[in-house]
Amino acid sequence: MSGAGRIAAGALAAAAAGPAIAALVPPGVLLSLLAQACIYAILALSVGVLARQNGMVSFGHAAMFGAGAYLAGIGLGAPGLLPAEAALPLAVLAVAAVCFGLGLIVVRVHGIAFAMLTLALGQACFEAANKARGVTGGADGLTVALPREIFGLPAATFQRAEGMFLIAWLAMVALAALAALLARSRFGLLTEAIRENEERARFLGYGTVLPRAAVFALSGGIAAAGGVLYVLYNGFVSPETVHWSVSGSALIMALLGGTRTVWGPLAGAAVYFLLREQLVEVTERWLGLLGILLVLVMVFLPDGLSGLPRRLRRRHGAEA
Amino acid sequence: MRSRREAIIGATAFGASAAGLAGAARAQARREPIRVGVPTSQTGAYAVLGEEVIRGVQFAVDEANAAGGIDGRQVEFRIGDEQSNPDAARRAAERLALGGHGLLIGAISSASGLAIAGQLDRWNALYVSTVNKADRLTGEACGRRLFRANHSDAMDLMVVGPWLRGRPERKWGICAADYVWGRDSAAGFTRAAQETGKEVALSVFPPLGTRDYAPYISQLKAAGLQGVWVVLSGGDAINFAKQARQFGLAAELTIVGHAYIVPTTLRAAGEDVVGSYGVINYDASLDTPQNRRFVEAWRRRFNQDPGEYEAETYTGMRLIFEGVRKAGSTDADKVAQAMNGLEFESPFGMVRMRAEDHQLVMPNLMGRVVRDGGRVHRAIEMTVPAAEATPPPSAACRMG
Repeated sequence: MSGAGRIAAGALAAAAAGPAIAALVPPGVLLSLLAQACIYAILALSVGVLARQNGMVSFGHAAMFGAGAYLAGIGLGAPGLLPAEAALPLAVLAVAAVCFGLGLIVVRVHGIAFAMLTLALGQACFEAANKARGVTGGADGLTVALPREIFGLPAATFQRAEGMFLIAWLAMVALAALAALLARSRFGLLTEAIRENEERARFLGYGTVLPRAAVFALSGGIAAAGGVLYVLYNGFVSPETVHWSVSGSALIMALLGGTRTVWGPLAGAAVYFLLREQLVEVTERWLGLLGILLVLVMVFLPDGLSGLPRRLRRRHGAEA
Repeated sequence: MRSRREAIIGATAFGASAAGLAGAARAQARREPIRVGVPTSQTGAYAVLGEEVIRGVQFAVDEANAAGGIDGRQVEFRIGDEQSNPDAARRAAERLALGGHGLLIGAISSASGLAIAGQLDRWNALYVSTVNKADRLTGEACGRRLFRANHSDAMDLMVVGPWLRGRPERKWGICAADYVWGRDSAAGFTRAAQETGKEVALSVFPPLGTRDYAPYISQLKAAGLQGVWVVLSGGDAINFAKQARQFGLAAELTIVGHAYIVPTTLRAAGEDVVGSYGVINYDASLDTPQNRRFVEAWRRRFNQDPGEYEAETYTGMRLIFEGVRKAGSTDADKVAQAMNGLEFESPFGMVRMRAEDHQLVMPNLMGRVVRDGGRVHRAIEMTVPAAEATPPPSAACRMG
């Protein structure tokens, strides 16, 4: 089977697993947590795409996530202006477009400087969400009333755990498949070549800024899609969602799962999110415990949790 | 911490049922207990306020159980950490509500309260705010399962107008934290000043978390003002108070604050705010028979005076108890229904839960920090009765 065929088959199998999980897990706290985990997994995926294709570590992806949520929320709040079916995709496209423009500048900066730049831009968005009270509701947040129907589905579907879990799961699988297909394409290979040796790619005659900016835009668009689902599910968004600590969590999820594979950040998000929710119940020191876990994973599994199968296979191969 | 708390609840429950007749105890055991969920801050920026909320809940629960429960129902409560973050507040409240503790109370930030408010129908829960001040909670965002047992920002501003009218100062300035609360309060004060024929000559908006207020204080001093309206809280209020005294601002003009002369400011900078005025939502010296009983029992237990968040949370718990009593049920939907128009006794005297917007109609106070011998404390100068202190329901509120 070709690479693209394998990805399509994997995506179909993963998509089919969604309804199975929804049928097995009784609707309640757990299913709601799973729905939220999927939404954050999409954010982690976006951070992973940037790390994988561009080799760039972002400390500002909560800004794209939050911008998607706020734009969708504002769009839904003005139903006379735009139908919801237009407002939601527009929110994603707008964030991707802005990221492309920004990307043309920021991808020229490398390493720690890039991380600091994304941190600064992200915090600027956080301040803006706090200060633009007329539009965002400021520190009190934005309450969003959904229209009766969106894409032919009753609004309640988006706000019930059963409905949102399926929607977020399918969106997560589709976006991950898209990222995997892209990584295999000519464009994906080019960005990886640039990631490994930008000087050389340029020497071979490739422009290196445009492809990297395109990856930045794609990554921003994926994060924004997560934000749109977030605001649909919660009916509420506040500046805390844009805060750098959310960017930090997304980065931890991506690193925990490993960014060498597309699915690594998804696994990292599931582990981080569900573990955190369990730890919060048991102890106020949950942040410390999660930190220790991350250190252990980084030391013993530098490729993250998704590197585990490969390591096992290699050890197995060595023994045989 | 958690296990000790549960042990306390258990011990109280045991004591109460052992004291009762065996038959009565059996009858009580059959009644559905009242299960209260407390999504409040145990970590994060508001953890200190969360402690006050938990004390208020604990006190109300123990008092009810010691008296044999509410209509023979024991009261249980469970705490969820909202981490001073609305996203975590939603999850903490969801876990509590779906786990059977659907009578929710006590989130700290208005954003957390608003995040919870949107989910109540889905969880078959209700939420009583005892700290959230944003007007939206009883305005645009109001709902049949959403209640406020504390003062809103609009209520705090209602007492400023009458107070200003009796003051000689004509030229005012404003020093407010640069975010939604500070800006809204500044706008409200400006309106109140204009209505009473005063002038607001200068407004400064230092960012949250400012340490050095010198540039703002020198602007205020240079503007030839006679009074300043201060809208700062927590560490900001303490820093401002110390520097305002140091640079002679406090000696030159009248300082009056929104949530400025609160116990946290008094504890950290008591000497610095002597002479300052401010809105006081609750004070232990409040002269109602219920409050005298409440303060006496509180002092016996905690060896200090109750603060406003403690008294308001206690009031919110009383609202839940009386709602359950009237509904004859612990079902959140029925209790919420029963709370409409409910009148009950609280430390604030007899209060009423207004059916139109679910704002508790309660009195509000203005006072001044004074030094009595060695003791720095607040003296109430003006009590605005409930009817005047509570603005009419917002037109933006449409009960669904």
